[in-house]
Amino acid sequence: MLQFKLVLLGDSSVGKSSIVHRFVKDTFDELRESTIGAAFLSQTIKVESEDQQEVVIKFEIWDTAGQERYKSLAPMYYRNANAALVVYDVTQEDSLNKAKAWVEELKNKVGDEDLVIFLVGNKVDLCEGSDNEDKRAVAATLAKQYAEDQGLMFDEVSAKTGHGVKEVFQAIGQRLYDTKKEELATRQRGNGNDGQVDINVPRPSTNDTTGCCS
Amino acid sequence: MAPQSFTNRLAMIKSPSVPNFAGSDPRSKKVECDHISDPRLLSALTLELSDARNSAVLSNLQIGKDHLESRDNSSSNLSVLDLYNDNIDDDDVNLPGGKEGSSGSIGSEINLLGHELNLLSTTPEVDPDDADSDNHRDDEDDDGDDNSIDQNRPKETPHVNESSKVSGSREISLEDQYDEYGFKKQSNYADTEVYNRWSQEYSECCSRRRFKWRQLMQKHRISTDGSSVPLVFPPKNEKLKRYVRKGIPAEWRGTAWWYFAGGQETLDANIGVYDKLVKKVEKIQRGHKAEKYSKVLSDMEIIERDLNRTFPDNVHFQKNDTSSGEEPEMITSLRRILVGFSIYNPKIGYCQSMNFLAGLLLLFLREEKVFWMLVIITSRYLPGVHNVNLEGVNVDQGVLLLCVKEYIPELWAQIKPTCEQTVLSTRGKRPVKNEFLYRLPPITLCTASWFMSCFIGVVPIETTLRIWDCMFYEGSHFLFKISLGILKLSEHKLNMNKHRGRGSPLNKFYQHGDSSSGERVDRLYGEDESDIEMFQVIQSFPKSFIDVNDLFDRTIFKKRASFNNLDQEEIDRCRKYVQTQRNKYKEFVEHKDVRGGDSRQIGEQTRATSVSNAPKSKGVVPSTAPSSPSLRKQHGKSGTLRDDTDLRTVLGREDYGFKRSLTNGNWNNGLKQKMRQMRKKRDK
Repeated sequence: MLQFKLVLLGDSSVGKSSIVHRFVKDTFDELRESTIGAAFLSQTIKVESEDQQEVVIKFEIWDTAGQERYKSLAPMYYRNANAALVVYDVTQEDSLNKAKAWVEELKNKVGDEDLVIFLVGNKVDLCEGSDNEDKRAVAATLAKQYAEDQGLMFDEVSAKTGHGVKEVFQAIGQRLYDTKKEELATRQRGNGNDGQVDINVPRPSTNDTTGCCS
Repeated sequence: MAPQSFTNRLAMIKSPSVPNFAGSDPRSKKVECDHISDPRLLSALTLELSDARNSAVLSNLQIGKDHLESRDNSSSNLSVLDLYNDNIDDDDVNLPGGKEGSSGSIGSEINLLGHELNLLSTTPEVDPDDADSDNHRDDEDDDGDDNSIDQNRPKETPHVNESSKVSGSREISLEDQYDEYGFKKQSNYADTEVYNRWSQEYSECCSRRRFKWRQLMQKHRISTDGSSVPLVFPPKNEKLKRYVRKGIPAEWRGTAWWYFAGGQETLDANIGVYDKLVKKVEKIQRGHKAEKYSKVLSDMEIIERDLNRTFPDNVHFQKNDTSSGEEPEMITSLRRILVGFSIYNPKIGYCQSMNFLAGLLLLFLREEKVFWMLVIITSRYLPGVHNVNLEGVNVDQGVLLLCVKEYIPELWAQIKPTCEQTVLSTRGKRPVKNEFLYRLPPITLCTASWFMSCFIGVVPIETTLRIWDCMFYEGSHFLFKISLGILKLSEHKLNMNKHRGRGSPLNKFYQHGDSSSGERVDRLYGEDESDIEMFQVIQSFPKSFIDVNDLFDRTIFKKRASFNNLDQEEIDRCRKYVQTQRNKYKEFVEHKDVRGGDSRQIGEQTRATSVSNAPKSKGVVPSTAPSSPSLRKQHGKSGTLRDDTDLRTVLGREDYGFKRSLTNGNWNNGLKQKMRQMRKKRDK
């Protein structure tokens, strides 16, 4: 089993906790209590290796409070994270700007090239159907373009209907597996003693000197 | 209560602080007019009554006052009150039943559950301290001569009522989905059945306590006749403290909190202030001086998003199905309070978690009082905690860590590596003394919310209320005490999990819960599996403390639990120490930045932080050290060493010294341990 740390970031009430709950418990509440501080959850998925074997991946999910002032606690969240889900609300234009700020911060502060950043537009259910098209405030093409420019993964989901949520985590899991498998194999070989690998290989530190915040 | 002049009290009655009764208040007149012109007169009136609140407390208080003040201006009030009192007797409460669905707070799936309730009631304690635990079961204490239970006395339940219906007092039947405060009984951690089993026993305990409280009050000649709620309480002493720790009767809670927190003094010093704020809020809502209030406006946006996410499981905060989308009165009040507060205290503005504080208070107190209680909590009990830079949270977390280090060394042994790891992975240097104060370990992400929301959502509601009773009576140090108590229990829990077959270091990589499956877990980052487990236990375990008496017996009432020696003075001193140290650290970083050119941008960050009112400045990372990067900069080796030495000099060598009492038997844990070891050796 592989274990990865995943953090959720994004403006308040874009649906971070709802996405996690859809993924972990497959439930949805129209009104969910605002998250204070952080919440930890975990969920496993299966991905496929090259030789068609199933590999179990466990996500340790850190769900965070969205309000700006909690940002000061953020470094604790994303320290050692393997993946970040940056969420915005497709009906709130400003939430994409907040998401972009998070992406910037992650790129500046997390000195890990392998960090998988997935930009997610939530609440697409609100603008489904011809009546509701005007509710959309962020065009999918716009966000997608941004994601491509920044080298992020991107998709739109609905925590309410469940549309696309599992796929996001599946894609992250697959990507993480693909990037880490070689590292793992090397380490296992290098270690020699079958099974017990030293996994405490220090990773690039968060917030190292390459980080630049202009 | 502080003696107040007659005019003062009169002013209070006249002031809109009592909007529903004071005939002299223009706003309230308007409300009455609305009622008359409203075709649904009756329902509107009841709505107002229910607003009168939320509490029989208010009406009773009002009755009490009217008596005291010799019917000066109360004739118009009385009619309403009479009606209200009539209504109280009608027990026609129909709760919106059958509502299934989500339960509560963002729990955690965590597979550890299920066992936990059992654990609470059955686990034999392993701590040697526990042998002499001083369990105060309900009746053992006190005078001993008053154990008779007044069976005939009508059972009072709090005044809280269904949103648009007056329900004064009502019994909660087993079929009800909601408890007496309107919260959903069922949660991830206890289903309705478990809840009912506990609550039956607990309500008996409550009526015993209520009886004792009445006796105590009688001794002090404070009237508690009928359903009247006392306006004053006896002077503070050990006995009263014990009474409070065993729970204030639910229907007295509002006035008791108000009294112990000194709410009236604050209100008296600020007569009319809230009313002005409310007017300002209305103006701002209409777009008045938008530029001047841009900060308030941005707070309003966040408040608006949070209003319906405040206790969505509580009936009083839910939209009434029948009233076609009308906003619950609670939500309207909550908005006024929070926006008003944002204007009143720009240093804080609005901080998520204040919605819960105000929301819970609204179940027990009227709007204006809730506002002042919020002012008191955020300034006196939790100074700085909700500030824009959250520095107060960080200080309190530092204090908590120092306390854990001092009082729960076994848990500290588990937290410590995560602190060191934080330092190593980010700095690769030798840590300075108590570095964890400046780079808080991740566990504080969990415990921070305990303080920010004063345990709302952290523990079950009855437990939260008990903690609030004690917090208002004893002061903020109680939050640290109960936190330590909970952490201590969590530590037992963690140990038990370990003993369930994952004690050996070889098992380090196995996922908890399915260690038997023998699957290996590869972690690609440095955190040990046990960290995550620790987070999960500390996050979810407290939610299972449904039996508040049991929790208190195992923590607060345990005389030998050393952390019970903590007092307010100690916590204040410790807060000051942590604050000073953190400031020194911050200053050092800034100062260094002035000297060394290469860390200029870091200085900018830190400065921006101290200005702190910069919600827009991205990447600003205040005080929380993990991000303050200058110390992490890879200087030349000598530079690093010098900086480290300098920093050590600046911070000083002195550790925080907890005061020790010679009498409590815990004055020297180190020595005690040594004695134990010596004895062991000798026995061998």
